[in-house]
Amino acid sequence: MIVIFAIDALEYNLVEEFNCKNLKQKYYGKTDISEFSQPRTMVLWSSFMTGKNKEDDVLEDGNKEMWNKKWDIKETFFSFFENPVVLDLPGFSYDLGFHGKSRILLKNFFETKNLEKKENLKKEYNKDAFDHHRKIKDKFFKALGEDRDFVLGYFSVADVIGHLNFGNKVIMKMIYIELDEMAEKIKKNKRVKSLIILSDHGMKAIGRFGDHSEYGFWSTNFKDLKTPKITEFYELIRGIKNES
Amino acid sequence: MKVEIDNEIIEKIKERIKDMDEFDSVEGYVDYILKQIVGRLEEENKIKVDKEEYSKEDEKKVKERLKSLGYLD
Repeated sequence: MIVIFAIDALEYNLVEEFNCKNLKQKYYGKTDISEFSQPRTMVLWSSFMTGKNKEDDVLEDGNKEMWNKKWDIKETFFSFFENPVVLDLPGFSYDLGFHGKSRILLKNFFETKNLEKKENLKKEYNKDAFDHHRKIKDKFFKALGEDRDFVLGYFSVADVIGHLNFGNKVIMKMIYIELDEMAEKIKKNKRVKSLIILSDHGMKAIGRFGDHSEYGFWSTNFKDLKTPKITEFYELIRGIKNES
Repeated sequence: MKVEIDNEIIEKIKERIKDMDEFDSVEGYVDYILKQIVGRLEEENKIKVDKEEYSKEDEKKVKERLKSLGYLD
């Protein structure tokens, strides 16, 4: 089984700072996303799964509409597999209901001037993100216990929580420990032959807030990829599939 | 440091983890649960401490950035 643990906004520097050994695996590094005008989540995951720079296609209907973009499986490397599972990935199996609500809460947070309301909105925003994380996590580990040739789980908690809390090291460390423990559990699963851990971009601080950084994180248990472009994973995965 | 746990609780934990791949001992399970609880308590406490620590300037910057990334209209 080939597994991709896709983590939005997993930051290389925090993986190092918190010494997340399981996230680092045997080989790890940063990805090169310099070909994109901005580190947009939908653009990056779309480019990852199709192996092509999809910036123009994703943005053709504007920033607001881009979240509704959905690629046909034939355009993605998921089509290489017989019984793949792809959970919550932007541009493919994205939960528009949850992520849409999350963006509404974010908007309300920035619009209100009332500090009490702001705080309550942030609590609701954080709680929703953790609840959604647990939901996808359950589905992900269930899929890892099934007879599958490919499983991808996309986890947005580091990005969603990070945007309002990146300056809060306690919360961020808690998230990274959780993700590291998930990586450990994946690695212990004997069905998993090849594991790729990948983020679209990292995160950097703007005061207490978090902004996307201009590189992503990758790690594997089988090959040193140096500084890969996010579009290069398409052929890499084809190669692993053909070898298996 | 050693912590004494009631035998009845230990038996319940053993029963709970017997079919779980990720825990091979009662100690491992207890350690996991305590980390979760302490993490949440720290988070709740930190949120109280952090209240009003957002600067208006940072907020303006990040708001603009989130707009350009497609998170806000």
